[in-house]
Amino acid sequence: MQPDTSDAHAIVTCRGVSKIYAHGAVEVRAVDGLDLDVAAGDFAALSGPSGSGKTTLLNMIGGLDRPTSGTVTVDGEDLSGLSAAHLAELRLHKIGFVFQAYNLIPVLSALENIEFVLQLLGIDAKERHDRAAAALADVGLTGMEERRPSHLSGGQQQRVAVARALVARPAIVLADEPTANLDSKSADDLVSLMAELNARSGTTFLIGTHDARVIARARRHIEMIDGKITSDTTGDLADVVQ
Amino acid sequence: METFKLIVPLAWRSLWRNPRRTAITLVVVAVGLYSILVFAALLDAWAQSSRDAQLNLLTGSGQIHAKGYLDDPVVDRRMPPPGAKLRAALDVPQVREWVERVRVPAVVQSEYKTLPLTLLGVKPQAERAISFLPSQIAEGSYLIGNADPGIVLGRHLAQRLKTRVGKRVILMAQNADGSLAQRAFQVKGLFASNQTAEDSYAFTGIETAQKMLGIGNGISEISFRLASGAALAPEIARLRAAAAGLDVKPWKLLAPLAAAVDSFMTAFVYIWLWVMFVFMAIGIVNTQLMAVFERVREFGLLQALGMRPSLILAQVLLESALLIGVGVVFGMIASGATIFALRGGVDLGFLARGAEFIGAGHVLYPHLALSEFFEMSFLVWVLGVVIALWPARKAAHSRPVEAMSHAT
Ligand SMILES: Nc1ncnc2c1ncn2[C@@H]1O[C@H](COP(=O)(O)OP(=O)(O)OP(=O)(O)O)[C@@H](O)[C@H]1O
Ligand SMILES: [Mg+2]
Repeated sequence: MQPDTSDAHAIVTCRGVSKIYAHGAVEVRAVDGLDLDVAAGDFAALSGPSGSGKTTLLNMIGGLDRPTSGTVTVDGEDLSGLSAAHLAELRLHKIGFVFQAYNLIPVLSALENIEFVLQLLGIDAKERHDRAAAALADVGLTGMEERRPSHLSGGQQQRVAVARALVARPAIVLADEPTANLDSKSADDLVSLMAELNARSGTTFLIGTHDARVIARARRHIEMIDGKITSDTTGDLADVVQ
Repeated sequence: METFKLIVPLAWRSLWRNPRRTAITLVVVAVGLYSILVFAALLDAWAQSSRDAQLNLLTGSGQIHAKGYLDDPVVDRRMPPPGAKLRAALDVPQVREWVERVRVPAVVQSEYKTLPLTLLGVKPQAERAISFLPSQIAEGSYLIGNADPGIVLGRHLAQRLKTRVGKRVILMAQNADGSLAQRAFQVKGLFASNQTAEDSYAFTGIETAQKMLGIGNGISEISFRLASGAALAPEIARLRAAAAGLDVKPWKLLAPLAAAVDSFMTAFVYIWLWVMFVFMAIGIVNTQLMAVFERVREFGLLQALGMRPSLILAQVLLESALLIGVGVVFGMIASGATIFALRGGVDLGFLARGAEFIGAGHVLYPHLALSEFFEMSFLVWVLGVVIALWPARKAAHSRPVEAMSHAT
């Protein structure tokens, strides 16, 4: 049950990835020459102090932002050459996102939010509905189909976001501080849910977080400081932390 | 099609998220279009009224003269009454009425003054169908028969001559053999019109004029009026074919000022349309830009979910198209109702002097051709959507990271 990271097919590969912001005359190296592989099926936590570059790295892996230098490959596809439209296409097919907040389209119901992604994929109405309903059931929200986001609790909203991130069966789910806005019970539940979905579907998770609960449940723990990876521990070590 | 099913509900629901802003845009578009359409209808009415005022004076839809008469309208440039062929061409349903006239330059003299004018010998009965002057008698009465020996002058001219109904004036004009014809007339009536017309024309029976000028049954002009709905150009062509050797001209050439007013009004409607549209555009761009900036996070989310920028553009544009479309429909309903309510006429009597000066009648009958009504509305809608491209592009090209960074 212990995946061998070195041999497993890498879903994400970062090679010499840097992101440099110019703050006036001062350069900020948000991500600094970073190498990283994320293996298929991984459930990895990315932690580090505020400003260490977690969000910047996740955004570059998700094709929402472009590195200043270096290459990012997702599921075998090098992102550097892709146009905005191609990146959108890639996100649609290969990447699910869960953000800290404002994950849902406010004018759509919970079910419609999930269906939306399937609709972008061109899946017909019947299948769309069935898959979205099943995804909602998977995150324990059966009965909430018609609710608009404003009528869902923070925890419920995050669950819908997780359901939506998974419904298109992406290669990887990128989550940035998914539990930061939740009370500890809801946060616990969300982490358990993600871990369970990872175990059940084998979907790869890379979660940027400060949250000890997330780090505790992760199979792999990557720590960043000043845009560099300072520690990367897998499996048993993470269990030891627990 | 699937794409539409995807973005239509999203666009429609998004519209109602900020009802106040949506309402503002609706009002801007509706009021703008309303003013364009109502103004167009009023201007159209004004143009028509001023054209009618001009044409109803004496011009008619067109006229026939001897060659050279229009350059030098003297008694020598006369023509015989219409022959069988021209008569047949004039006596058709497309021509509502036609009249023969003697029309020569003359001088009128009272005890106090001598003034130049144009003497018209007319057939009083037929004239009523062409010109409204016979019905604008302010004092005395109009002529009765073709041989009526009296004269009808303009009211203002009579004042200048210090004469009045019942008194006599002398008219002098060159007659057929080149000598000066002179005849005393009793003033039978005074007509009221604009001052230029009042000063320019004097009317007597056609036979009286022919006798005075010694021209037998010769005439100077035929004026005709087409039935409503008859097209001018083909009728002119038809009459030209029937009146070989004569000069047949449409009103646009006979009254270039009226024609100019006509095209000016049309141009003005479009100038107004653009002016109003600039105001509408400012309103649309402002509100839609605000809408886009407020939802920048949402557009970032849509991009993160894998919605292509072009599809986001389409969605925002569709929102604008729906919104502006609803505004256009409101504007059409309101202006349609207004134009319909005013169809009985708007009395401009209170600024009558001004209106007369420009040459319009007192009562305007607003109307707008259905095609024009729909064309302008459609144009406003299309232009509005084109303008909304700007905010829509902003939404589509917002960089996803910057958009999402608003989230934290
Ligand atoms: N758009 C930007 N322009 C300029 N500098 C930026 C931008 N985004 C991030 N930075 C800088 O890059 C560095 C890394 O930021 P990043 O948000 O990736 O850190 P983080 O680890 O996610 O922090 P946090 O835990 O607070 O979310 C910070 O110093 C930040 O100020
Ligand atoms: Mg962050």
